[in-house]
This record gives sequence, structure tokens and C-alpha cells, in this order.
Amino acid sequence: MIQRVLALVKMELLKLIREPANLFMNLLFPAILTLVFGLAFGSLGGADPPLFDVMAPGLFAYACIFIIMTVSMSFTDDRENGLLKRINVTPTTSTQFIGSHIITNMFIAVIQLIIVFLLSLLMGYRPNVDVFGVIMAFIFMLFLSLCSVGLGLITATIAKSAGAASGLSFIFILPQMFFGTFIVLPEGIRIISAFLPSYYVTDAITTIFNGGSPFALGVLMQLGIIALMSIVIVILGIFLFKKYGKA
Amino acid sequence: MVIRDMNDKEKMQELIDELKKDISSKNNEIVGYRDKIDSLEQEIMRIQKLVPGEATQTKVKREKLEDIFDPDETSAIIIKGLVKQFDDVTAVNGINLEIKKGELFGLLGPNGAGKTTTINMLVGLLNPTEGTAVVGGYDVKRDLNKIKEMIGVCPQEASVYKFLKGRENVELFGNLFEMDKNILKERADKFFEASGLKEASNRKAKGYSGGMIRQLNLIIALINNPKIVFLDEPTVGMDPRARRKTWNFIGDLKQDDKTIILTTHYIEEAEALCDRVGIIDYGELIALGSPKELMKKHDATNLEEVFMKITGRRIMEGV
Repeated sequence: MIQRVLALVKMELLKLIREPANLFMNLLFPAILTLVFGLAFGSLGGADPPLFDVMAPGLFAYACIFIIMTVSMSFTDDRENGLLKRINVTPTTSTQFIGSHIITNMFIAVIQLIIVFLLSLLMGYRPNVDVFGVIMAFIFMLFLSLCSVGLGLITATIAKSAGAASGLSFIFILPQMFFGTFIVLPEGIRIISAFLPSYYVTDAITTIFNGGSPFALGVLMQLGIIALMSIVIVILGIFLFKKYGKA
Repeated sequence: MVIRDMNDKEKMQELIDELKKDISSKNNEIVGYRDKIDSLEQEIMRIQKLVPGEATQTKVKREKLEDIFDPDETSAIIIKGLVKQFDDVTAVNGINLEIKKGELFGLLGPNGAGKTTTINMLVGLLNPTEGTAVVGGYDVKRDLNKIKEMIGVCPQEASVYKFLKGRENVELFGNLFEMDKNILKERADKFFEASGLKEASNRKAKGYSGGMIRQLNLIIALINNPKIVFLDEPTVGMDPRARRKTWNFIGDLKQDDKTIILTTHYIEEAEALCDRVGIIDYGELIALGSPKELMKKHDATNLEEVFMKITGRRIMEGV
């Protein structure tokens, strides 16, 4: 079983490196976004107090939600090229196949967090966080990446082609982007955020990076909510894709 | 022990204890006998396997119990009343077929005849609406995982990862069959050499020609050393030279005692390679036999003529 999962993870990582669109969406885009926002709103741009300090925690989640697009494109592309069928006639189970996607994308989320974190520091962002806080931020990101894989599977179920998947993925990306990441929302519409996984991640990381305890009740509750959301979404994604998306 | 007074509780208790001991010792004896019987049965089965004819008898009994209909184990595939219905379209309509071990069997038919649907049911990509099939001794409805371990499938569309190198593609699928690394490398080298892709094996498949991708498609299907190979139009899109080379390649597989099920539109390919062919049309098996038998039966000089006569007649009859 491990041999199969490792082989699939290796293949997915090679896809990340060798497919320019994947490389851009997963690694370069978050890097560019952090640099642009850092220059425009950070202390280097002369803003006082720097707006970037408020936005930075949201950038972590922002990068991760684009996994929805790459996962949905990857599944539809594999389906279009007959590769899902081909893998389906090997002894590989659906759990092993989707599990390999989850592992790969969790790994990508970790790399995204490192890239955004380092570039944010470069742009003058100075989070007030200890090592436990950083570990907790990683855990939040891992759950958000799990959510993104689930939403990617749901998108791939609906989309007929990789092109359609890239467009349809914005159904899940845009609300999370506007209501759950770096955009400061008016009180009245915050209720929408309560339904979005990225909101809990952004809110928790903001608390942690502003010197709050990673083990505070509020943070742990948010961890519980995002964990529950991600498990429900990924199970729903697997169910829908297996039932309606494989053909 | 004799009890004179039934009200003597002490004596009664003694008797009960004695009887319990007795029963317990008998039980132990029975367990011992059961173990002996089991080991004797195993020994009998082992000896029967060494004596020709005896093993088959035992096997028949077991198969009757499990409802598997291949008493002499000479069949690689048995199809019984296989039906596949897509909404109001019947793609496969009650096919019955038996393919022997080591046979190279050609499944021919016009476009949309039901060839690929039949294969998809045999490899577990589609569930039969009715009927069933036994592949390598396992029922497609119950033991799909066992079947997947022993088959190789070369799909109609060249399904390879274009961003991976040829060798990486082969290694990926070898690993999905959990092959030993050394054996995997050895087999990959052998196939790349035989197919003429050795030089290109370290290049990304994106840069391959259509024919090269087809070759790679075939190598992936064979890398796990399958007992039963399904080749769904493996030479489509190849130039005549590459096609001939692939024919030789497929012919060599037969020497390895593999059972091969080949679907093709190239009738001359089936004529050159296949031991037997089945012609399928409108989801029904309308002809079955060796190319020579079919040519003789339909008074034709080649298999293509047979094919045209049979399928053409059905068109005229408005089936």
C-alpha cells in the first residue's frame, strides 16, 4: 500500500514541478502576491501603521485555497486522458489514490506557508509568535488544504473538462477569498464568513501571530470547527466524485 | 457410582462432578480427532495434487460449492449471459463466451458494436446489468481486486502521463502493482529494448510521436507480467511499420503463455495474430471460431470478407 501511495505522491510532485500552470498557481502565485501586497501595503511602502500586518495572516489561507483549482484541474485532466480508468484497473484503491492527493496537497500547503511566511518577513512583517504558534499555524493550514482537496473533488465532479474546472473552482475560491482571508469585512456581513473554512484559519492565525496563545480556548474551538469542516467536505467530495465524477 | 437415595445431595453432586469430568475428557478426545481428521484431509489433498486426475476431482467438488463454472481450469475467461444496458441502449446483449488459457482471442466488430463495453465489464470498469463473467477463476462481481492483480489493460486511448518520462510512466504503474524494484527495472529495460523505445525512455512522453505513445501504452499494460492481457485497439494510429513491429511484440507474448484478448479494427491484424476470433455486432456475438474456420464456413478468402459478409448482412436485414 505504501509503495502505491508513494509512487502517486511522487508523480503528483513531479506534476507540480514540471507543469508550469501548477507551479505558478501553487508556488509562484502566493510568492508574487505576498511581494506585491508587501510592497503596496507594507512598511517598505511607507504605510504607517502598515496595513500589510493586518493582511499577512489572510495571505496564508489565500494561497492555500487555490489548491481547489489545481486539484479539480488535475482530476478532470486525468479523467479526460483516461488515466483515472487506467489507475482503476490496477489494484490501487480509491482511498489510496485520493489519499495520495491529500498528502501531496498538504505538503504543498506547508511549502506555501513557508514561502509566504519568509517573504512576509522580508516585507517587514514581524509576527509575535513562538514555535508552538508556528506549529499550530501549520496544523490549521493542513486542515485548510484538506478542505481544498475536498472542494476540488466536488468541482471536478461538476466540471466536464480541465478548462471548465478552472472556471468553476471560483465558485468555492471567490467567497473564501473575499469573506475569509485578508479583506477586512464590515460587521454586518461577517455572518457569511462563519460558513467558510478559510475564515477560521485566517482568524486563528491572526490571533496566534498577534501574540495570542495557540492553546487559547477560542483557537482550539476554531481548530475543532476547521477539522470537522475539512473531514465533512473531503468525505462529501470523495462520495460525489466516486458516484458521479469518475466517468 | 450407585445412588440409593435420590435425596442424598452430596452423592448427587459427586455424580454430577464425575459426569462433567467425563464429558470434558471426551470433548478433548473429539477435538484431538478433529485435528487428526483435518491434517489427514490436508495430506490427502497434497497427495491428490501429485496424482494426475485426482486433483481435478477434488477441485470440481469445491467449485460446485462455490458456484464457479470452470471444472477443468482450462479457461482464462468465461462469460455467461453478459448484458450492459445504458438507459434505453443495450450495448452488450447476452454474450456467452469462453476463452482458453494461453489463447490469443480477437474481438472484432464495427464501431459501437460493444467490444470496449465488454472489455470494460471484464476488467471492472463497468458493472454488468445482467449475467456475469469469470476472469482467471474469479467472478467480476465479487472478486474484482483479485482480478486486477492478474490482468494488464492497454486502453483504447493512449493513457500516459505526458509530463513524465517514458520510464517514469512505466515505473509508476509497476509500483501500483507493488512490483519489486529490480524486477521492475529488468522488465522495463526488456520492453524498452524490444519496442525500440530505449533511447526515448528517458525523455518526457510529451515529446513522443503518436506511435511511440502507443508503444508506451502497451508497455505499461504488460509491466506487471499479467496472466491475462486486454489490448483494446493497441495499434490504432500507428504507421504500418510500427504496427508490424507491435504484431511481433504481441506474438511474442503468446509464447510467454499469456491469454490475450485483442480488439481491433484491422481485420488483417486479427487474421495474422489470433487463434480464434469473435465477431460482435449490436452487442451480440454473431460469429465465433478460428480465422480459417470462419473463412471456410462463410466461403471467404480472408477474414475481412467474412466480417463484411456477416456485419453487412445484418445491416441489410435491418437488425
